[in-house]
Amino acid sequence: MNTLQEILSPDFLLRNSVYVSVLVGLISPILGIFLVLRRLIFLGIALPQVSSTGIAFALALHILAGHDSPIHDASEQTMAFVGSLSFTLVAVIVLAVMERRGRGLVEGRLGTLYVVATALSVLMLAKCPQAERGWLNLLKGELVALSLRDLVTTSIAFVIVCSVLFLFGRILLLVSYDREMAITLGKRPLVWDLVLYLLLGTTISVSVLSVGPMIAFGFLIIPPLTAHRIASSMKQLFLLSSLIGGLSAIVGFWIAYHFDLPVGPTDISFLAAIYLVTVIFTRR
Amino acid sequence: MPANEQPLIHVRDLSVGYGRNPVLANLSFDLGLHSFHAILGANGSGKTTLLKTIAGILKPMAGEIRFTVQTPGIGYVPQRDSLDPLFLFTGREVAQMGAYGRATPGRFLAKSDTEKLEQLLKTLEATEFAHHPFTELSGGQKQRILIARALLTNPSLLLLDEPTAGLDPSAANSLFALLSELHRNRQATILMVTHDLDLTRQYVPQALWVHRGKLLNGKVTELASPERVGELFGIALQ
Repeated sequence: MNTLQEILSPDFLLRNSVYVSVLVGLISPILGIFLVLRRLIFLGIALPQVSSTGIAFALALHILAGHDSPIHDASEQTMAFVGSLSFTLVAVIVLAVMERRGRGLVEGRLGTLYVVATALSVLMLAKCPQAERGWLNLLKGELVALSLRDLVTTSIAFVIVCSVLFLFGRILLLVSYDREMAITLGKRPLVWDLVLYLLLGTTISVSVLSVGPMIAFGFLIIPPLTAHRIASSMKQLFLLSSLIGGLSAIVGFWIAYHFDLPVGPTDISFLAAIYLVTVIFTRR
Repeated sequence: MPANEQPLIHVRDLSVGYGRNPVLANLSFDLGLHSFHAILGANGSGKTTLLKTIAGILKPMAGEIRFTVQTPGIGYVPQRDSLDPLFLFTGREVAQMGAYGRATPGRFLAKSDTEKLEQLLKTLEATEFAHHPFTELSGGQKQRILIARALLTNPSLLLLDEPTAGLDPSAANSLFALLSELHRNRQATILMVTHDLDLTRQYVPQALWVHRGKLLNGKVTELASPERVGELFGIALQ
């Protein structure tokens, strides 16, 4: 209990990391619901990987440009954020265009994207050991000290995401559920797909930057899958997914800090334990 | 279309299909306002493709579909199996989607839409089960909810894609009776894809018969008589 009080204290050194984790835990599952319901779970694993490639690109930019030391004044974190966001947004737009053309298998595209993103990250960081270490830590879900600026950036991104969801969530659900009906109502599914992908891209970018791709994927997918086993309405599904994510972020952080474990894998293991319990005790 | 009937849709030189291959080509016909048509034909003959093109879901490969009203509303009832059971909507929530075309961003449905929805559920005898999860409803109950959803759009034209597929005979009969009642009492213009010839003969006055890439338009009593069906399929019917 003392550990919990410590990490929730405003004087806690890593408090911004805790707050960001909780925000990621609360918001990511809401977007993840769309992936689960649309049966696009692979997208949830491919996009965080692309996002981390953007981070790798930002970290290795000076090496790629032929310099030994960083050539820009912007902080590493800001560069990483820009890299993460731009790579993810380009990926979602390319995926949306390919979706429109409707050629090839969706799973094939996403699987290829995932493996190419991983390979490119490794290649870009091959000549930059320091950046590679930071990137691998992110990949492993190690605890990252985040600044107040990171917390504010994450909060602003999530406020935008939540506002768009509040305003247009109903249409996003309709387009996900019954595209043909949406067309007869004058809605353009491809435009709304793009809106959803942009929301996903933004959420994933800020999540990957603070908690790494593994935990970003975990928070996107596992809470909705767990909630889907116990919820009996869409409202419950959204509420429970978000609660499970937020609660797991706090409890995972607490366990990791107490036992000196990496936060990411601890969070995911905790989420998996909840999921397992629902699998055992529910019928759906 | 009978000469005294006012047209709702003019279809001219319409070709429909997927990719570059037309399933049906050079179709020209009119659909009258307040008419009730069944689209009949063999499996794979292009019935659903034609319906989806009229609904605006598929783009015509050639030709035009012109409505005589300024803002034509389409009430579309899809094949109910096309709706993914992963979504945890109640029947009422599915029906509410009919008002989404008018809903303001971030707002709940307008009071008038809520009242209209309740009225429709009552008319369709769906109030009792509307609060149940949509996926747990029977086939007939699902169709009533989907028809309520389509009617909530305030449609000029109600389009239904095989509404009785998979229903038991009693539920199928009751659904045809309901559609006939909507046509008669609410003056609804209805176009429906169906395989059910017996019920079509009983309840639907007009038919579009899709056969070998051509379309025959006429009265059900003429087009769907056992003798004519036998001729069209080249078989003798008992």
